[in-house]
Order: sequence, then C-alpha cells, then structure tokens
Amino acid sequence: MQSFSQLLQRLADAGLDFVIVGGYAAVAYGSSIVTRDLDICAVLTPENVKTLRRTLADAHPRHRLTHKRLSFLRHPGAGQPLQNLYLETDIGVIDVLSSILGVGDFDRLRSQAETLEVGGREFRVISIDDLIKAKEALGRERDLLAAKELRAIAAKRAQREPGTGSRA
Amino acid sequence: MDPANDAIEQARRAGFDMDLLETNLALTPEERWRQHDTALEFVLELQQARMARDAKLQPTPPAAR
Repeated sequence: MQSFSQLLQRLADAGLDFVIVGGYAAVAYGSSIVTRDLDICAVLTPENVKTLRRTLADAHPRHRLTHKRLSFLRHPGAGQPLQNLYLETDIGVIDVLSSILGVGDFDRLRSQAETLEVGGREFRVISIDDLIKAKEALGRERDLLAAKELRAIAAKRAQREPGTGSRA
Repeated sequence: MDPANDAIEQARRAGFDMDLLETNLALTPEERWRQHDTALEFVLELQQARMARDAKLQPTPPAAR
C-alpha cells in the first residue's frame, strides 16, 4: 500500500524538520499530475538520518538507485556525509534532498514555505513561486509542463485570493 | 493579454483541463492529497496487472517443458 500521506505523518510525528517539494507539493496546490515519489527537503545531519531510520525502519527503506537495493538502515555507515537520499519503502518512494536546484538550500526554502494543516498536523510546503522556479530549473519536458500548470494555478489563486498567487 | 490570463491560456494550450483544475482548487490540500493517493494506488495496481499478464504471455523455455 502506497501512502505518501502516511509517510508524511510519520515524519512529522517524529519531529523531522522538512519542507515538502516536488510533485506532491504541486498536488497540494491543485496540480492534476500524479507523482510516483514523495520529495522532501531536509538537512541530512547525523541526527536527522537517525530520525529517518527510526521512523522508516518497519517499512524496510532501501536505496532504490543501488543495484542491490542496499538497506538504508545499514548504509551508509556512521560518519559518512550525505547530500541526498533516494529511498523506496513498503509505503512509497521518498527522496530526501538537501537543496533544490534553482531555489537554494533548506533554510532558503523554509523561509518562503507555506504552512498547510492536514490531518491535524502542520506541514511546510515549498512556496508556489519556488516550486515553479525549481521545475523550470530542471528543464525536462515534463517539469516544464508541470510549471505551466503551476503558473495557471498561481494565476487562478491570485484571482480568487489576491496576494496568494505568484508573479505569473 | 495580462500575465495571469496568459498563464491560464498557455496551460490550456499545453493540454491541461481547466475545469479539472477548478475542481481541484475547490478541494482542501488534504482532499487533494487523498485523491492523488487513490489515483496513484490505482495506477500501480494497473501496472502490476499488466506485468502479471505479460509474465503469463512469456513462452515457457523448452527445458522447463
């Protein structure tokens, strides 16, 4: 059973400081595009890695870009620096990124993020302006298409509630 | 055309359904995520069904007959 909502609830309950980015952030704003992975931005300190391991342990997290699907619970070993994590778990695929191309690092992202209340919990979501920048910086066909939809969403948001849209 | 209407027109031309977008915007973020997760679950079930069908269609190797 894939459930990004469940993954997010677990991370929030564990106290991990993170910002939701990527396609699932776009869905939160109203995008109609289905995404197969949950992307979050967080600083991968040893403490945060420990939190992630503890939180995901029973969902068997594995490094999905490694040939043998190495377990995240054992790899990498202590003291090895991490920039990004690309994991698959029993409840969904999750990527943990320490910075976002075209936008910046976690602190930059967090400073502009929107806070959404879902299921009684508060989640930080990359701002729609930053999300558009990130999609356009990636430059792939599908990301540029997603950016077009996000620009339309931002425009409609601005029409409904002035001050909430982007500069679209 | 003003920038907002231009953005909407560009999305329409790119193939996005503006009525669907309006429907999504009327939902709460929680409802959007729930709807997305249901759609993803369905996509993955279809993918598994297709893989199972393809596996059945594979010819049995002679040694295994």
